Amino acid sequence: MMESQIKAIHQKLVKKEISCSDLVKEKLNLLKPNTHNTVNSLLEDYALALAIKVDEKIANGETIGLLEGIPFGIKDVYMLKGTYTTASSDLLKNYKSAYTATAIQKLLDVGAIPIVKENCDSFGHGSSSENTIFGAVKNAINPELVAGGSSGGSAVNVAKEFTVFSIGGDTGGSIRQPAGYNGIYGLKPTYGRISRYGLMAYASSTDCVGPIAKSIEDIRIVLNVMSGKDVKDQTTYVSEPITEETIASNGSVKSVGYFKNFIKSEAIDPKVKSDFISVVEKIKAKGIKVKALDFFKSDTLVSTYYTLAMAETASNLSRLDGTNYGNRIEGDNLKDSYSITRSKNFSEETKRRIVGGNQVLSQGFSDEIYLKGLALRDQISRNFEDDFNEVDVIISPVTPGTPPKIGDSLKDPLAMYLSDAYTVGFSLGQLPTLTVPQGTETGLQITAAKDNDELVLKFANFLKDTI
Amino acid sequence: MSKIMTVDVLSSIKGSKPSEAVSKLFDVIKNAHPSNNSTFNSNHNKAVSIDDLREDVVIESSATERQIIKDNFPKEKNGYLVVSKVIEE
Repeated sequence: MMESQIKAIHQKLVKKEISCSDLVKEKLNLLKPNTHNTVNSLLEDYALALAIKVDEKIANGETIGLLEGIPFGIKDVYMLKGTYTTASSDLLKNYKSAYTATAIQKLLDVGAIPIVKENCDSFGHGSSSENTIFGAVKNAINPELVAGGSSGGSAVNVAKEFTVFSIGGDTGGSIRQPAGYNGIYGLKPTYGRISRYGLMAYASSTDCVGPIAKSIEDIRIVLNVMSGKDVKDQTTYVSEPITEETIASNGSVKSVGYFKNFIKSEAIDPKVKSDFISVVEKIKAKGIKVKALDFFKSDTLVSTYYTLAMAETASNLSRLDGTNYGNRIEGDNLKDSYSITRSKNFSEETKRRIVGGNQVLSQGFSDEIYLKGLALRDQISRNFEDDFNEVDVIISPVTPGTPPKIGDSLKDPLAMYLSDAYTVGFSLGQLPTLTVPQGTETGLQITAAKDNDELVLKFANFLKDTI
Repeated sequence: MSKIMTVDVLSSIKGSKPSEAVSKLFDVIKNAHPSNNSTFNSNHNKAVSIDDLREDVVIESSATERQIIKDNFPKEKNGYLVVSKVIEE
């Protein structure tokens, strides 16, 4: 398995084996042909200007930080002042950020260099990165298959080493699932660990910012930089940096749980199932207690997640009416302009979710569906609390099956929703969950209790040496 | 005022209709039996403390910021930013 790319490149820069300008140019040249439809816009001039400054520092004998001069990618839902931020949508295809997201600003502050805004499902609405005006993102391992989503462009760029790391967004699995589909690491941190300020909101109560990278160490480095309380996002909290030493060796994980019904499910691919069972056996062989846990049925998890996410996205996207920004299409009057603008500029999937959200929020429906959804979510959270009294971490497959062919998912939205069965529960629980590229063809998820992101990384290091 | 509003009006999306796939998700919720159907007592203390509130100060936008906001505006005429005609109902 790969060791830290960030550290390796940092050493090369310090030893003057490569200049930062050449490094950035090399990555830009890899991105330019856009072989996998990962690129929404390249930040060529911006990135090269920053690279020259890093080279000047090195030439002057100044010390550079670990992330200084490291080229990275940004899912095209994050604000970066002066750059296009399209959310892969027609509505915002010419929209420029007027400010910079907190998480991205923190990376800029330590000298990391953004080189690309990355393709994704429009507004995060999808699990395949096909719901985009920039063309379906192609899987890094087999380009006939989907990249996964919604952070598909980011995952593929990392897998192909077009970027050293990328910043994705995860609302119901949008970092973890494409990481699994492309054989790399992707972390959804505990909700609130990283500020959402400047992330275009999809479902605010589960939206998480997270790193995608080729090693656990790089995930750790980038996570530490982005974490922290932010007055601009009142759901953030103070967290301690995670050190390399604390996650180096396993000693604290004595018991591991997994959900029985995930494995017994009819929907699971037989190979994913048998591979997962053999992971469980290998963990047991190391003297760790493994416990099969009861959990909610997959369709309950998926329905609860989508009900709440649709309600939240209907509210969040109501601001997109073409008045102050966006691709306005004029109608006879203001209201007409709103509804034509939104009808012509939102994708079918986005409209499906907005309409669904407004259905559950409307009078008569809200008690029967939305409030019940909230109650189910509370119950799911309590279930997790009980589980983590019994086990230290929970492992699960990332997806029931392998990536579908490009073109197949859009035909059947319900099947796409159901394919999120293993990721959405941890989103509702706001729990730290990491995809590791091991165990099954689409990887494994490691989950711990809230704010125990450290244990997740620690167990990932243990698994790396174990399976 | 009680008026039935259709989803296309509620959503401000011309011609939009409820979808079958989404209705199937809702059916699962309708048929579920949460152990406790009240969310009013489980606020998890999410309220923000007064000490954590932002300072109540006006922050001036920079010149570039203002320019970007103007550039993003969909329509301009003779130096004015133009909105759609507002109607009274």
